Amino acid sequence: MAETNTNNRLSLDKGLWLIIVGLAAWMIPGAGHFLIRERKRGIILFSVTTALFVTGLFVGSMGVVDWVTGRIWFYAQILYSPAVGLIGNITKHGGYPVYGRPCDVGQIYTCIAGMLNLLCILSAVYMAYCGRGEMIGHEEEQDNG
Amino acid sequence: MADYGLVLAAFTAPIEIGTTPSSMLWMFPLLAAIALVYKATKMRVLFTKKYLLESLLLFLSVSGFLIMAIIVLNLLSWLVTS
Repeated sequence: MAETNTNNRLSLDKGLWLIIVGLAAWMIPGAGHFLIRERKRGIILFSVTTALFVTGLFVGSMGVVDWVTGRIWFYAQILYSPAVGLIGNITKHGGYPVYGRPCDVGQIYTCIAGMLNLLCILSAVYMAYCGRGEMIGHEEEQDNG
Repeated sequence: MADYGLVLAAFTAPIEIGTTPSSMLWMFPLLAAIALVYKATKMRVLFTKKYLLESLLLFLSVSGFLIMAIIVLNLLSWLVTS
């Protein structure tokens, strides 16, 4: 009986841990990997996805994040971070010009950044589920040493 | 403080990109980012040199495929319209 309770507790803790890793990875790209001690991976993922998202905003203007007229695009963009919702809130009145090819490039860049972050979230949760973060860290130390 | 204002102002209006063939060059930074992120999530252990090499190979192979696709589509449209 006591063993069953301990097992339930462990699986609950692991489930909670996976949710925390997933949420962290969504809030700040790369943070999920950072939590599971995959710091190098986390820094790379944060740098690349953030550079891509910021480039998209720079090219097309903040107006590319628009949940009123570009709702489908917005669903992909918000995968980058909940902070995208704040940008959407600022731009919902349509005060930012967005048109032509810069709009296409900006939308594609920001959406791909969001979808790449979805890949990062899944990767972080999967690594946390397998307990790979610690194992890889250990292997890496051995290999470097 | 004025510098921060200028940086923020740069995000309120789109930059100039014409609808020219050279605008297709915007796909390369995107491909590089996809290759870097994909390899960072896929590789079991991240060794800097191996990671960069594999990312470069993926970037080059995807770029090569897209360039081939562009050439084939251009040839097809030239054949159809000539």
